[in-house]
Amino acid sequence: MTTAIDIADLTLHHPGAEGGSPALSGITLTVQPGESVALLGASGAGKTTLLALCDGRLRGWRGQVSVLDHPLSPDKPPALSARVDTGFIFQEFALVERSTVERNVLNGRLGRMPGLAAFFGHHSAADRAVAYKAMSEAGIADLAHRRVDSLSGGQRQRVAIARCLAQEPKLILADEPVSNLDPARADDILGLITGAARARGVTAIFSSHQPDLAMRYADRVIGLRDGKLQFDRTAAEVSPQDIARIYHEAGSDAPLPPQKPGLRVVT
Amino acid sequence: MRPREASGFTLTLLIAGAVLWAFVSTEVDLARLFSSGPRIAEFLGRMWPPSPEIMSEILKGSAETLRIAILGTLGAVLISVPLGILASETMTPGFIHRPVRTVLALIRAIPLILVAMLMVGAVGLGPLPGIIAVAFHATGMLAKFYAEAIDGVARAPIDALESAGANPLLRLRYAIWPQMAPVVARDTIFRFELNLRESLVLGVVGAGGIGFYIQTYVRSFQYDKAASVTLAVILMVVVIEGFNVALRRRFS
Ligand SMILES: Nc1ncnc2c1ncn2[C@@H]1O[C@H](COP(=O)(O)OP(=O)(O)O)[C@@H](O)[C@H]1O
Ligand SMILES: [Mg+2]
Repeated sequence: MTTAIDIADLTLHHPGAEGGSPALSGITLTVQPGESVALLGASGAGKTTLLALCDGRLRGWRGQVSVLDHPLSPDKPPALSARVDTGFIFQEFALVERSTVERNVLNGRLGRMPGLAAFFGHHSAADRAVAYKAMSEAGIADLAHRRVDSLSGGQRQRVAIARCLAQEPKLILADEPVSNLDPARADDILGLITGAARARGVTAIFSSHQPDLAMRYADRVIGLRDGKLQFDRTAAEVSPQDIARIYHEAGSDAPLPPQKPGLRVVT
Repeated sequence: MRPREASGFTLTLLIAGAVLWAFVSTEVDLARLFSSGPRIAEFLGRMWPPSPEIMSEILKGSAETLRIAILGTLGAVLISVPLGILASETMTPGFIHRPVRTVLALIRAIPLILVAMLMVGAVGLGPLPGIIAVAFHATGMLAKFYAEAIDGVARAPIDALESAGANPLLRLRYAIWPQMAPVVARDTIFRFELNLRESLVLGVVGAGGIGFYIQTYVRSFQYDKAASVTLAVILMVVVIEGFNVALRRRFS
């Protein structure tokens, strides 16, 4: 694999918003295999849109996009066999609420099984082992037989992460995985996602609106504002001016936002 | 007066007028009203003790009512699947699902007993008009429930499975089915219970089932036998209800 993500001159309008300003414009960026990258930006900056695009879910854009060395088409969805390699952790988890934790995590395996076995739910021992390893890594092995609709928000998030890991993706995309969590939990979850990615040597991209967390858990931080790329640096190089550029009112001379403690954490 | 108060006042007048009109035009004889208490008591007294001789009629009638409810529900399910899809907001455009929903509301508005009377006229006495009437009447509710079950399916988990590389059949099996099946099963059982309960009286208009015996025995002044049938009907309703509570817990 030469690149995990390679995007050149990307512009994207959402359907129905063709007249207005694009959700993403003039984006050019590359992500190397094995990197952990944070997409940083305020609400509406285009983080979800960029991640969904990399997951092969959006059509009608202009530019060149390739994911795991497969070029994406703006006209048709990628083959399911290619989609298995990209795991997505949805902001709202997107779990089957009435199914058990185990069933939801095994759902991550479906794309990697022979169709008939998948349909009848005949998971091989090796298959189950992958799913159970993902569950213990996410700390939910003891919840395996609980129904998802009986779980707390934090537990659901861990199920979503386990489903993604069970998929054995080469690229992990996580949309605002910690936006609704208190700081201690946020650290646990980002540590879990980036730690699991690093342990497997796979690429991870997560979006966030919290600069301190982005810099603490990512090797690289990409700043977005109004659909445009503002900066793209290693976590250590991100400056308070960079942060100001993505959060500050354009042209205003109000003071910079208070620095978060994480801003000075350089590892 | 503000418009709201004005309309509230008009409404009060209208209701008072309607009550007055009902009293005056029905010529309620107060003496008769007061003497009807003892008469009802005496009537009930004649029903006691219930006659034990008609066990075979009760069994035969109950079995026929059960058959009408089962086949009527089956018919309603068969009609409700396509109509439910047509009435679903997520499956069809507004110019289809809106008129279909209106038709379903109209069907719900027609009482079962009325449909049954019409069907007896159309196809003759016996369980067949009962089955047709139940199927027709129940469709008004069941198709609406099915449409709601379809519309209640969350899109996100389906997309998530697609994102994980699951083909359409697997998405149906693991994302749509688990969301829909318990709802559809619960609604169908609920409607079956209503069908069974409502078809107990179908026999009164000649559309088959146990209600036929109540009508026959009351008309021929065999009140003890009518009482036995009534008790059997009450017992059936209680059993159905208990059964239903247990099942609904299973499909929550
Ligand atoms: N489905 C959609 N249809 C139209 N506009 C959308 C849609 N989704 C997002 N947008 C718009 O695109 C821009 C980027 O949104 P999004 O990617 O969700 O931002 P973020 O995830 O950074 O908050 C916003 O202006 C948003 O209003
Ligand atoms: Mg978002």
